[in-house]
Amino acid sequence: MIRPFGWNEFELILFAVRWTIVLAVMAFVGGGIGGLIVALLRTSDSRVLRVATIVFIRVFQGTPLLMQLFLAYFGMTILGFSVNPLVAAMVALTAHASAYLGEIWRGCIEAVPSGQSEAATALGLRYFNRMRCVVLPQAARIAVPPTVGFLVQLLKETSLASIIGFVELTRQAQIIDSVTFRPFLVFSIVAAIYFAMCWPLSLAARRLERKFAQATVR
Amino acid sequence: MPSILKKGAALFLGLGLMAGLTTMVAQAADALQAIKSKGTVKIGMLVDFPPYGLMNEQNKPDGYDADVAKALAKEMGVKLQLVPVTGPNRIPYLLSGQVDLLVASLGITPARAKKVDFSESYAAITIGVYGKDNVKISKPEELAGKTIAVARASTQDTAVTKVAPKSTNIRRFDSDAAALQALISGQVPLLGCSNVCYVTIQKLAPGKYNKKFELSSQVQGIAVKPGEKDLLAWVNQFIDKAKSDGELDKINQKWLGEPMPAILKKSSQ
Repeated sequence: MIRPFGWNEFELILFAVRWTIVLAVMAFVGGGIGGLIVALLRTSDSRVLRVATIVFIRVFQGTPLLMQLFLAYFGMTILGFSVNPLVAAMVALTAHASAYLGEIWRGCIEAVPSGQSEAATALGLRYFNRMRCVVLPQAARIAVPPTVGFLVQLLKETSLASIIGFVELTRQAQIIDSVTFRPFLVFSIVAAIYFAMCWPLSLAARRLERKFAQATVR
Repeated sequence: MPSILKKGAALFLGLGLMAGLTTMVAQAADALQAIKSKGTVKIGMLVDFPPYGLMNEQNKPDGYDADVAKALAKEMGVKLQLVPVTGPNRIPYLLSGQVDLLVASLGITPARAKKVDFSESYAAITIGVYGKDNVKISKPEELAGKTIAVARASTQDTAVTKVAPKSTNIRRFDSDAAALQALISGQVPLLGCSNVCYVTIQKLAPGKYNKKFELSSQVQGIAVKPGEKDLLAWVNQFIDKAKSDGELDKINQKWLGEPMPAILKKSSQ
């Protein structure tokens, strides 16, 4: 059942990238929103909220993404809820990314000297404005490198979604490899495609860092 | 996490699973009717296990399993929806109801039979001795004094080593591909390999090599959720019919280049 590796096979691999991109964008957006909420709750004054967020973070950092995807899809169905794979992937990737980004951003928020927050309070700013105008802009500057590092990793981790039926880049490559028997060629192409997606992310991060650095130069 | 929380979570999960399973069992009785009234049967199959399951040039599921699934849906009079599954997730797909049936090259083993209900065998992977047309040999004893290639430490290595007489020269190669190369380049007259491997031989050198005798075989069954007796009975009926009216023979010829193996005929009685 061998067939040659031709243009058709290359196109099939290239087009499978759309699922990798869809999954990554879902994880970035969901994780960004969820992560911000987690980071804010984790640094809030209420003990109950802090403990609840810690439990959330421990659970999702302490279990493999593969299991989270598996449970979100098959577990929900066994419990009687019919979920489609896209929803399951969105739920699992969002929860996973929220836990990590939340913890990364908590560190960044806490790295802003507490005097800043106290001074803002002294100026009469309430929580929302204090965060929006004083703390978060300073935290964001520190957050760029670790956040991008995590996003690059997350983009590559979307390949795990093949367990719930997504034929994304890595899975498509396995399927093509099984009929062409050209593993080196197939997986080199896949590596190059992943690189082509991750490198621009890193470049953008560098530019953003430089911009922030210029804006705050004394 | 405190252990009380863990226990609570485990209990909750356990109860949930049990509730889910009970509803599944309740539905199991009329699984066949449910599929017919839906008008579509969802069948899970592998797409990275050629020639049984693969993606063709149009990126559609194809192969031995796909043809069996198509014939099954046609017989049932419903539309077919092929769901690509992978080796590790195929049983969860079935148990969680994402697919109605598995035609996914699932070898019938006692361990798996505890999780799913197997139909009669519909396919078999056989390991045999293949060789040049002009080599006259039909049983293990006749291997005496002959040279045979196998992949080192493979199932075929074990099988050949077990039955071959002492004077047989067994040449062990690192992979099936290397052993196959030795046969085709004429270094050895005989090769121990699977019928899947034989398909490749036929591609590379059509008509020059044939099967001498069989060593062992693993049969595969169609899997249904445990307890779906009426569906299983129907599937068995379908397989019997496909075996007797030549449909399965045709599929074997198409994908494996051989008639339906004898072991499949045996199990239908």
